[in-house]
Amino acid sequence: MHINYWQIFKQNRVGIYGLAILFAILIFALCGPVFSPYFPQNTTTLTLDPPSLQHWLGTNDVGQDIFTRLLSGARTSLAVAVGTALLSTLLAVLIGITAALAGGITDRILMRFTDALLTIPVIVVVIMIAAYVRPGVLNLIIILSCLGWPVGARVIRAQAMTLKERYHIYAARVFGGGMLYIMFRHIVPDLLPLLCVSFIQGARRAVFMEAGLAFLGVTNPDMISWGMMLRHALEYCYLDAYKWWLLPTGFALSVTILAFSFLGYSLEEMTDPRLRRREDA
Amino acid sequence: MLEIHDLRVAYGNKNILNGIDLSIRQGETLAVIGESGVGKTTLGLCIAGLVQGKVSGQVLFQGMDLLKLSEQDLNKMRWNRFSLVLQNVENVLNPVMTIIKQVTEPIVEHGIRKKKYAVEKAVEVLSRAGVPSSRYEAYPHQLSGGERQRAMIAMALANDPEFIILDEPTASLDTLTRLEILKLLREVGRDRALLVITHDISAAAKLGDNIAVLYGGKLLEKGPAKEILTAPCHPYTRGLLRSYPNMTTVKDLQGIKGRLEIPQKGCCFYPRCTQAVDICREEHPPIARKGECYLACHRGGIVPLLQLKDINVNYGPVAAVKGANIKVYEGETMAMVGESGSGKSSLAYSIMGITKSFSGSIYLDGSKVKKRSKEFFRRVQMVFQNPAESISHRHNVLQAVREPLDIQNLGCDGERKEKVRRALDEVQLSSDDEFLSQYPYHLSGGEVQRVAVARALILKPAVIVADEPTSALDASVQAKVLKLLMELQQNRGLGILFITHDIALARKISDRITVMQAGEIVEEGPAERLITRPGHSYTRALLEAAPDMDFIEQEQNGVDLRESSLSSCSFLAKN
Repeated sequence: MHINYWQIFKQNRVGIYGLAILFAILIFALCGPVFSPYFPQNTTTLTLDPPSLQHWLGTNDVGQDIFTRLLSGARTSLAVAVGTALLSTLLAVLIGITAALAGGITDRILMRFTDALLTIPVIVVVIMIAAYVRPGVLNLIIILSCLGWPVGARVIRAQAMTLKERYHIYAARVFGGGMLYIMFRHIVPDLLPLLCVSFIQGARRAVFMEAGLAFLGVTNPDMISWGMMLRHALEYCYLDAYKWWLLPTGFALSVTILAFSFLGYSLEEMTDPRLRRREDA
Repeated sequence: MLEIHDLRVAYGNKNILNGIDLSIRQGETLAVIGESGVGKTTLGLCIAGLVQGKVSGQVLFQGMDLLKLSEQDLNKMRWNRFSLVLQNVENVLNPVMTIIKQVTEPIVEHGIRKKKYAVEKAVEVLSRAGVPSSRYEAYPHQLSGGERQRAMIAMALANDPEFIILDEPTASLDTLTRLEILKLLREVGRDRALLVITHDISAAAKLGDNIAVLYGGKLLEKGPAKEILTAPCHPYTRGLLRSYPNMTTVKDLQGIKGRLEIPQKGCCFYPRCTQAVDICREEHPPIARKGECYLACHRGGIVPLLQLKDINVNYGPVAAVKGANIKVYEGETMAMVGESGSGKSSLAYSIMGITKSFSGSIYLDGSKVKKRSKEFFRRVQMVFQNPAESISHRHNVLQAVREPLDIQNLGCDGERKEKVRRALDEVQLSSDDEFLSQYPYHLSGGEVQRVAVARALILKPAVIVADEPTSALDASVQAKVLKLLMELQQNRGLGILFITHDIALARKISDRITVMQAGEIVEEGPAERLITRPGHSYTRALLEAAPDMDFIEQEQNGVDLRESSLSSCSFLAKN
């Protein structure tokens, strides 16, 4: 049956909040230059300046406008989030569904590989790789995706296994539909809600990982990132600067992750009716 | 006794007979069957020398070419050496002469006996033909149809000819009279040669040692009656048998598509043939030996479309199908019957390649299927058990029916939509835009099933594997869907592998039935044989369990009822 997901989603307040916040962050990130006249890299002689009309959140140790850097950091975060989510979901879809549809030896090889990746502590490996590569946005997306797909692949494979025994998939095969056709015309649309959830959760994890790696200082130093801003801000904790440097950055990061979580949980609730709360009860 | 070589008859430009070769031996009966208008009567008249048109070829009657004889010589031969019983007994007898006089006439005319003795002979043949003696002095219009037919036969017998041509001897007779006439003819034919021209296939079966099938002035098939009637090779013969109502076959009546129209060139039957290929349009096939029969068909008779050889399906240690061999012929329904769990669906899935865990080989159009390519699926399609589930809930009718075309990448957008409309028309569904935008759950069960059938048919497959396609439907909707499939079979020559648990249903729609039990084929054969004379105990069990409409009370009292009604029956008393 057709389920109007938007109708259900509208009734989920948490989800709406999450979406609204994300939307706001997106606007800020995209329209950064509208809000501030400065370039994030530009240094001035005004260092560690408290908030003023010229610099809403003051300046940092090398005289860069903190507000402008905050907006750029949002771009980085969202880019990594969306990129990683897209790429890892795509990998998960390809590997999960291929394993399910092909079955046999292909399935076994792919799934053993997935299991192997699942046992690796992702954070440690990512830190190690990042320390060596010093990744920028693109490399970070690739690294995070390569390590982030196995969970999704497992879930998607399980769902695809049950889907592929459905009669409409049989019918499509009997019309001569190949694996790619079945995958993208039938299974992916059928799994779309599940993929949305996995996309959002992937994005949330990516924001967190990116900030974490930047905080540890293992990413490309040229990249403007909330994590790196936190790291620098901490060094000047003894000054008042933390009030307009550390706190707003931490707040932005927390709100972003929170928004992704809200959205993710509400989507999960929607797609799994057992989790759906009865609002009217 | 009679040999016909390359007989051709033309009225003006119109060729009625085109190269007929036949032979009849002493004591043998040859039945010529075919629809009306195919030249049967002309054949009979031509042998008797009564045709006005242009005749060529040879009709050798005991070595004499009848076509070369003068009218006088022919007159001497007629009635003496061979005689003719014409069609339309009403008009053939002279209305102003009594029966006995008419029978006496040829005897006297040919000077075999004096008139006095001739009457004696006439009485003898009339009584032999079973005309009651009270009727000898009657005029033809006073006789019943059966009696007139008998009188005609008596006339034909009067001069003891060695060869009799009978044109539709049983047409327009009621069944009981017909049976008596047939009995008489069989007796007559014991020591004579008979040529029976008829569209009554049962008469042909009862009388004929051999049967020849005539169409468009050409012989399509000839051979021993048993072979022709039980295992017809030519699609036309099969069509004739299928459209003939009788007590032997169990399948619903089916006709032959198209009208009787003889093309200028090519096989005379190709416009109505469902398995015609290019060569059939070009030249008429020569008649050639096939087994015990002679057959004129470029395709070598009805072709097997799908053949399964030694199919085994194993799910782990469970053997779902064990060594199944099945053939599906062009234009035929093969029903696979068995209880649920007997491996029917597994077999269907192994044909379509949905199950990979099977061994054995599958032949399509005679060549082994190695990989199920898109072409394979264009020839073989499947209709699934649950129609609603076989259509994605995200697809509306248009998308669902279009899907096969999209996958096969056939035609452009507009063409595809047009094809969808035609396919929906074919399954008698509405094809307007409103219906096209409906989703399966908006439709009734019967409609969804017909949508499912439409999408299987849109690729114009040669074979359809139908896995319990009607089990989810109520009886009236089921009847509609089945009628549709049968019609498609008639018009397109669709081969159907029909999987069902319902032997009563299989009986109505199938030419042959395969019974499957626990993965094994226990019995296979023509539907009528399997239904009336089941060989395997499992088949018998299925038949006993099949639905019927007998009331239990009646069964108990049935014997008494029947006896009481029979005691006053004049028919039984008479016999």
